[in-house]
Amino acid sequence: MKTLNTVGHPSSRIDALLRVTGKATYTGDLYVPGMLYARVLRSPHPHARIRSIDLSRAQALPGVKAILTHENCDVIWGSGDTRNKRYLFNNPVRFAGDAVAAVAAVDRHVAEDAIRLIQVDYETLPFVLDPEDALKPGAVEIQPGGNLSPNNRNERQPEVYKRGKIDDGFQAADRVFEDHYTSSHINNAQLEPRVAIAHWDGDHLTVYTPTQGISNCHTEMARDLKIPPEKVRIVCQFMGGGFGNKNQNHDFELMAAMLAKQAGVPVRLEFTRKEDFVSVHGRWPTKQYYKVGVRNDGTLTAIQLRGYSGMGPYRKSSGGIGGIEIYQCPHVERSVYPVYTNMAVSANLRAPDYPQSVFGLESLMDDIAYALQMDPLDFRLKNMTRKFNDQLAYTSIGLEECIRRGAEAMEWKKRFHAPGEGTGIVKRGVGMAMGSFFSNMGRSSAVIDVDSKGMYHVHVGVTDIGTAAKTTMALIAAEELGVPLENINVIWGDTDRCPYSVGESGSRTTTHTGHAVVEAAKDLKRQIAEKGMPQGNGMLTASVNTNPPIPPNVARYSFVAHFAEVEVDTGTGRVRVTKYVAAHDSGRVVNPLTATSQVKGGATMGIGMALHEQLLYDKASGTPLTAGYYHARVMTHLDTPEIEVHWIETEDPYGPFGAKTLGEPTIIPSVAAVANAIYNAIGKRVRDLPITRDKILGVLA
Amino acid sequence: MKAFANINPRDLKQAVSELQKPNAVAVGGGSDLLGMVKEHLVEPDVLVHLRGLRGFDQVSAKGEEVTIGGLITLDTLSREPMIRDRYKVLAEAAESVATPQIRNAGTLAGNVNQRPWCWYYRNGFPCFKNGGNRCFSITGENQFHAIFGGGPSFIVHPSDTAPALVALGAKFRIAGHSGERTIPAADFFALPKVNPARENVLAPGEVLVSIHLPKTAHSVRSTYHKVLDREAWTHAVVSAAVVLEMDQAVCNSARVVLGGVAPIPWRLPKVEAMLAGQRITEDVAAKAGEAAVEGANPLAKNGYKIPLTKAVVKRTLLSLA
Repeated sequence: MKTLNTVGHPSSRIDALLRVTGKATYTGDLYVPGMLYARVLRSPHPHARIRSIDLSRAQALPGVKAILTHENCDVIWGSGDTRNKRYLFNNPVRFAGDAVAAVAAVDRHVAEDAIRLIQVDYETLPFVLDPEDALKPGAVEIQPGGNLSPNNRNERQPEVYKRGKIDDGFQAADRVFEDHYTSSHINNAQLEPRVAIAHWDGDHLTVYTPTQGISNCHTEMARDLKIPPEKVRIVCQFMGGGFGNKNQNHDFELMAAMLAKQAGVPVRLEFTRKEDFVSVHGRWPTKQYYKVGVRNDGTLTAIQLRGYSGMGPYRKSSGGIGGIEIYQCPHVERSVYPVYTNMAVSANLRAPDYPQSVFGLESLMDDIAYALQMDPLDFRLKNMTRKFNDQLAYTSIGLEECIRRGAEAMEWKKRFHAPGEGTGIVKRGVGMAMGSFFSNMGRSSAVIDVDSKGMYHVHVGVTDIGTAAKTTMALIAAEELGVPLENINVIWGDTDRCPYSVGESGSRTTTHTGHAVVEAAKDLKRQIAEKGMPQGNGMLTASVNTNPPIPPNVARYSFVAHFAEVEVDTGTGRVRVTKYVAAHDSGRVVNPLTATSQVKGGATMGIGMALHEQLLYDKASGTPLTAGYYHARVMTHLDTPEIEVHWIETEDPYGPFGAKTLGEPTIIPSVAAVANAIYNAIGKRVRDLPITRDKILGVLA
Repeated sequence: MKAFANINPRDLKQAVSELQKPNAVAVGGGSDLLGMVKEHLVEPDVLVHLRGLRGFDQVSAKGEEVTIGGLITLDTLSREPMIRDRYKVLAEAAESVATPQIRNAGTLAGNVNQRPWCWYYRNGFPCFKNGGNRCFSITGENQFHAIFGGGPSFIVHPSDTAPALVALGAKFRIAGHSGERTIPAADFFALPKVNPARENVLAPGEVLVSIHLPKTAHSVRSTYHKVLDREAWTHAVVSAAVVLEMDQAVCNSARVVLGGVAPIPWRLPKVEAMLAGQRITEDVAAKAGEAAVEGANPLAKNGYKIPLTKAVVKRTLLSLA
């Protein structure tokens, strides 16, 4: 691979100093003169019809300036549900935490007091939390038409993928393995709380908000408020994370806008940490039933999956159960049922379809390898994907190299042993798992100006959700323009100043917007070659909208293999990850420093999901018990092992300098790698996430 | 949160007097209480802030006794050389609490008086602790609940320092409107069958002023072992505070108190009796572990605490052998 001047060299974030010195202004740091503070009243019930809402005591409280309920606000939050009409305030309420009212008042305390003075008369309705229970006859109907959420063709059918003939695959098998797995609702648990400030100037709306995509937020706010997009401005200068739950526009932004409109002054709406855990969304809980056919030599012949995803009562996202495509197999059948339940809403969280599913799939593949007396590593090398769905050639694939390099770094041959082998109380084991993630190219844009002083102003609609996207754009611009990084000035995070950019979801920013930056830089270089550098007050501007096609006969993916070594204390059930190796093929790595941070972050989230994180529900009341960092058992520094990162830089003909996706692949195999290491250590399999102490002591008993 | 008045009393006398006001609550570090006020789990009209009181945040030795002011922070306590040297179990318990930020603010008296972290209570379910008349854990999610001493409430006592103090035979000095009283630590904590709404005998308007430890011989060995649900910042799933008075390799007398298993620090008199006069061998420690769980009464989801308790008792004893 050709070495480049700027891209590929570790670079600190261009805004690092601002962030670490507290000078970066996040949305929560902003105060607009005269603004009100807003709070939300939420349903304590998982399912209830609102008979009446009495606002009189709240309205009488001095300092209360505006109140919204379903009775005076019929705004539909379009991104809150892609199948049903989801209002900002719904009746019936369908989960404990569903919004009932929002109040704006002169300060936080008055707003909080006011929501407690609102009297809601609820008629409680039956509720259901488990997705399989929700499909049983007689289950309460959560949305009109039933609890199986419609598929992409709007049919009340599961999402089905098939290739080959599954029965033929089982016929051809020497052995057939079946097992089932469950995973829990996990919250995104990003550090930055949710706060939006909405400000109307006549009919022109400005919203300051922590969003993963100013452009999406912009068009969707205009859509939901039924105003022209040119009347809306979205600003997000510094962003403190979302992991998928700040994609699109959100209800808190719409509520702030509607309250500000009613009150006639700016409104700042804040969620508490608990609201963030319960009322936004997290990863969908799943139940996965796998059946796999295999020949005695380890060749896969059939993979069948029936899976259920609990989406909560609103369908915000796919509910997919992915990962099978990582295996080469002639006969595959996957049926996934996205189901409405009365739990918290489920939608995007870092690689939404994957880590929970790969946990199930890779647990079973591990069991199969052991049953065939094969090293799980060799089983993967034998069966790993060579073509996407056995059909399309990959534009580049470094999966085998990821497995080999990772195994070497883990000293797999030395550390691997028969499951449960060893006599001590503390047992060690190693496990691995693999994954892939879509790395398509797509629509984005960039504008670059150059002035007579040789400064290049790169306008990109990114907000930088923690991935260092601003820095990535600067590095790509510097590389293509052939100028030092100091000559690049990035302008970001404001729809009045930046062109369209793809939302920072799907790990697309580097590939989509990065490509636009490359194209804009090329255009600018052509202009400079033609006209010379601008003089005096002159400027040259290059503006591009790009949507590079990938030929239909190829597939572009990133690949990953993770390896974990754990220690399991068989006396106390304590699990510690003692060594962790992550090997990634994300094509060319634009910035190894921040890319390594991405891998460490993703693996850390996966370890937490494997070992202790979950939003646990009280079954009798249908309400969550573990909202917040303490009870949800989010990872701490002491839980986090040293994570060793290896780059398998394949040459890919697409993307900026051959870069592929990275942010999301980092979590995909991590849960399964830890689970498989625990199995290797103790010789017992836990099939329900998280793999907590009680379950470990349970299987050992 | 509900609006409240804040009072910074000049001295203990004024503090106690202010605490007689209706719906007044004492605040030490406030690391937990202020969160509970925000959650409306506590709705005081008056907060009496004790942190400004002088002289209640130190460790002092006098005659046969060591006195620890109730306002000492957990961090200071855990670093105090005299405590580390002679009351290791307490230093270790204090440094196992929560996070550095919380230990910098949280006080010893506050830790001892901390309300339960049962998720039903903390989420505002109308349970015994919230003024209701049932315990939701019995038929609910009871993974972290009591295997000893439960009923009608099945919370576990959340304090790490409390088992250490009971094991050390501490005395608690309590000040109230009608004067002061000093009681053994073990008598301070009360089972739910006494009063399911509370965890101790502190009456409204009373404060835990100081803690008094008997002087220990150099032959005393002590330690605190805590099992957490992640590597930091959880309460004890199970913990053991052990104090052994040794004569060379033989244990003269033992105090073994468990945390995380009962609504109060759970002393194990039978285990203590078994250990007296014994060398702490692998076998003796294992038998002590078995005896430790006699009479345990697990709920549907906390049976794992039985093997866990056995392991913790055994290992804690062996670590002192």
